[in-house]
Amino acid sequence: MKNEMISDGNETNRKLLVETAVSAGEIMLVSGAEIFRVEDTVKRILQLSGSSGTQTVALGTSLFVRLDSSDGKTVTVFRRIENHSSNLNRICRVNEISRCLCQGEISLAEAYKKLDEIRRDIQYSPKIKAIGYVGVSAFFAVLLGGTWLEGLGAGIAGALLACVCILAAKVRMNDFFINAMGAFTVGAAALLMQSWAARGMNLDMVITGAIMPLVPGVTFTTAIRDILNGDYASGTSRMMEAVVIALAVAVGIGGAMALVGWLLGGGPRW
Amino acid sequence: MVIRTVAAFAAVVCFGLLLELPKRYLLSAGLVGGAAWMVYLIVEQASSNIMAAFVSTLAVALISHVFARVWKAPATIFLVAGILPAVPGASIYRSVYYIIQDNGTLANHYLMETLQIAGAIALAVFVMDSAFRLFQGHGKVEQSCRSHGNTGRPDWIDGLPEEHQRD
Repeated sequence: MKNEMISDGNETNRKLLVETAVSAGEIMLVSGAEIFRVEDTVKRILQLSGSSGTQTVALGTSLFVRLDSSDGKTVTVFRRIENHSSNLNRICRVNEISRCLCQGEISLAEAYKKLDEIRRDIQYSPKIKAIGYVGVSAFFAVLLGGTWLEGLGAGIAGALLACVCILAAKVRMNDFFINAMGAFTVGAAALLMQSWAARGMNLDMVITGAIMPLVPGVTFTTAIRDILNGDYASGTSRMMEAVVIALAVAVGIGGAMALVGWLLGGGPRW
Repeated sequence: MVIRTVAAFAAVVCFGLLLELPKRYLLSAGLVGGAAWMVYLIVEQASSNIMAAFVSTLAVALISHVFARVWKAPATIFLVAGILPAVPGASIYRSVYYIIQDNGTLANHYLMETLQIAGAIALAVFVMDSAFRLFQGHGKVEQSCRSHGNTGRPDWIDGLPEEHQRD
């Protein structure tokens, strides 16, 4: 058998088991998985110890795990969860590792090493991400009922947004300002395009399409799903996260409307 | 409508790049998104956008669970991709934007819309999740360590008391 025994007497292994479970949970929480999925995965890994005394609490911003053993020793680990960013690939890979571990296909040490690798794993380069930004902006404008002209406008605004977001992430600016600056760029670009190039363009449609990569629609929906599942604390904290992101975007667009509207003459538009 | 459906497919694939959607599921996720938006547009013509969000998400959740079982991947991947076009991102932004602008009427309108659409989507996912859990028996969620002809547990746990053994 590949797997080492995780018995009550072996403290090192028990610690490694808890660390593995917490790492898996942490990666999933950071990547935006639902709370019940996180808790379920952590529980399944902990159950490998055979101990019935396990507790798992996942909140939006923290993760607590406890493992009891029959000799009265307890291992408790908690983590502060920071820097949320949706990453479906990580959720998928943690899921794979947890399944392989539970089926005994890989050892605990291997699982821990693989989880560590996941943290550094990025699939798409900034260039491809930039294409993603442009595509999301352009196609969302069309999907929401805009014309091709509006799609083109949103695509151009999206390209500028991509530059701002990728550059701002490089200098490690905080999320609120990245979102606000991105939204400001989109708003300013849309206003300028409308007044200089395409008068007939629906400004609202262009802006709505172009800010789609920023707005927290999925986060908000996941928040309500958490609440329906009975995870009230995590649900509300995730909802506030969505509101703060929306606030950043609204501040950015509002600022652009005021400033660029004023520069173009005719006074601020709000 | 065909154009908007194709746009939804492309938009979801592009969003997949931003969300680090695993490469091998990129196209299927796009198809789920396109199909979801088609259902949405059809239902929206017949009734409201809330109903459309609910029905299209039911379809998405069903497809996601099927895909998740076929490919042994978490259902979230396809679920997120499928609900992307319908999710009320723009409405949240607008409600906050109108709060800043001190336009209470519009802010309220968009806040209600956000809650209604997000609620409809969440409810649809919840309904489908519960249905699948019901059919599967308790405790066997799709990401569980499912048994393949054996007990589903590594055999080094065999020495443990019965109540500790899972499933």
